[in-house]
Amino acid sequence: MNESIYTMGIDVGSSYIKTVLMNYSDTAIQILDKHIEKIRKRNPATVAEESINYLLEKNKLTHEHIAYLASTGEGEMVARKKGHFYSMTTHARGALYLYPTADYVVDMGALYVKAIKIDHQGKVMDYKMTGQCASGSGQFIENISRYLGLAISEVGDMSLKSTHPETPSGICAVLAETDVINMVSRGISTPDIVKGIHISISNRVIKLLNSLNANGTIVLTGGMASNTGMVQTVKELAEKANMNPENIVAFDDSIFAGAIGAAIWGGFRHNKLKLKAMAEK
Amino acid sequence: MLMNNNVRNSQPGFKMSKLKELTDKCEHLAFDLNFNAAKKWKAEKENRVLVGYMPIYFPREIIHAVDGLPVGIMGGGDRKQIVIGDAYYQSYICHIPRGIIEMALSGHFTNFDGFVFPAICDVIRNLSGMFQMSNIGKFAKYIDFPQDFNSDIGGEFYIQEMNSVLSKIKEINEVELTTERLNHSIGLYNKNRQLIEEIYDIKQAFPWRLTAVETYHIVRAGMVIPVEEHNRILEEVLYEIRQDIGEPLDKIKVVITGAFCEQPPVSLIKTIELAGCYIVDDDFMLGSRWIQGDVDNTTDNPLKALSEAYLNFSTFSSSVYDIGNPKSKRLINLIKRREADGVIFAAPSFCDPALLDNPTYNKECDKAGIRYINFQYHENIGQFKVIKEQVGAFSDSIKLWA
Repeated sequence: MNESIYTMGIDVGSSYIKTVLMNYSDTAIQILDKHIEKIRKRNPATVAEESINYLLEKNKLTHEHIAYLASTGEGEMVARKKGHFYSMTTHARGALYLYPTADYVVDMGALYVKAIKIDHQGKVMDYKMTGQCASGSGQFIENISRYLGLAISEVGDMSLKSTHPETPSGICAVLAETDVINMVSRGISTPDIVKGIHISISNRVIKLLNSLNANGTIVLTGGMASNTGMVQTVKELAEKANMNPENIVAFDDSIFAGAIGAAIWGGFRHNKLKLKAMAEK
Repeated sequence: MLMNNNVRNSQPGFKMSKLKELTDKCEHLAFDLNFNAAKKWKAEKENRVLVGYMPIYFPREIIHAVDGLPVGIMGGGDRKQIVIGDAYYQSYICHIPRGIIEMALSGHFTNFDGFVFPAICDVIRNLSGMFQMSNIGKFAKYIDFPQDFNSDIGGEFYIQEMNSVLSKIKEINEVELTTERLNHSIGLYNKNRQLIEEIYDIKQAFPWRLTAVETYHIVRAGMVIPVEEHNRILEEVLYEIRQDIGEPLDKIKVVITGAFCEQPPVSLIKTIELAGCYIVDDDFMLGSRWIQGDVDNTTDNPLKALSEAYLNFSTFSSSVYDIGNPKSKRLINLIKRREADGVIFAAPSFCDPALLDNPTYNKECDKAGIRYINFQYHENIGQFKVIKEQVGAFSDSIKLWA
């Protein structure tokens, strides 16, 4: 179907809600607008509704204009959704939108890191993810940055200034946080501490990719993909693991990958359901 | 630009207030582990008896006909902490008997007169022995169901089993079973099954009108209150869901099977729906829907009518011998009749009957090209993330790639 429709994807994460407004047809996909909002101890359902309304009002649209509102992440927080897609499905499709020949996606979110193998349609072929330990997650970096008195936006650049990174000894977030306190008392510089944390998390990313035998283009998505220091560290460790660092890519919109994927799959489903209804008639 | 003119009123919490009131009431009844409604019913009139019965099926009509209230005992679920129960069962045994013995030994069944343990598996058989040895209630009867479906053999045997239960109740309240009374009770339970079936039929066509959790509460409430009261509730629910309420979401339709005895926690049912599925049929409260169709309530021998109904019109289940009418074929028929996109095999951990059937079911689904997933749970499971991911991926795979 070549009719152009509006779709919206909303990715409700544990820290941020990302919303994308899209112009969709089977032959052309275009992001019209996007919005990111930190939840900050508010009711995620309210933040989600406000995010949707913000984009609608900004673009002079109403709910009735949106052919398919798709949620991903904690979808139950989105009252007006038409459908929900699992986060791995949406990150896979979002990554493909960002880089059309992507072979792998690493979703680096607040709670988990998932490495996903995809095909050329964005279909999930295999995946590996970190366990429930918080030390492999963006939330961990947020906690550490708070201890160090840094804004989360400063962490990436701070990491790039490191000369002698100090990695935490344990893989448990609680122990690592204790390590960080020790590092501060030992006078380790802030850039070296932050870089050490990035190395610790990146090691996990590389292990996940190795377990998938990753050997193609890898798109980093999720909140941590916006962290320049983290992306740099993943590339460095990839090189040490005999992977080509040039194959690892991240984009400004990487954090929106889930929402982008949801909006695209929403459009796809809208057309599929429409065709089905026409066939049934 | 195309416009979607739908008015989206499907927000969580959006329900007709009457329906919400009914489902809240049913939830309260279904999970009152002290069975206060049943005990109150008993206290209102002399000679009334309370007879607890375990999953799956028991002919409740015979209890109803002799001034009794059959009370379904589905375990403590995730609402009863197990302290004593673990001492009664090994770690490789399912969870439901621990919850039931825990409830029994901590006084939840006070004022119950007797207990019936329908033959499902060895675990339930052993549970009946524990009730007997612990002198819980005035009787604890393990009831065998016929595995010979010949009327003269299995049918006669089954009538004897029902008479055995009736004789135990008569010893307590001296109420005589009459043809008229039993026919009347059979009629009420026929009506009950018809109403439940109509709810499922409406859910098949309009699954957004009543969630699986609400359906579960509504059907489960019927196990702890008189059938007359349950029928009234069901009629009110039906009135509400016959209206054009809610708005469909883009979800797949699934049938859930394997959860006929130990019940999944409500959060698990909710998780499956949130992960992108409409549950259009299930075997959660299988006993309430066991007989497919009406039992004859016009005969001079209603016990025989109940027996014939069991032999000829039982649904399929892991606890029933199925030669000549394979359960796997019947499952496929159910999936097709409900126009489901796939099936979820959800079995309790260590449930031999359910787990032993899974390979046969899986094979038949493969042959029929029906998509499925398998997972296990226990009644007090608290972590649903893995199941949510599994079901979410299952739903997406059907929505996008089927």
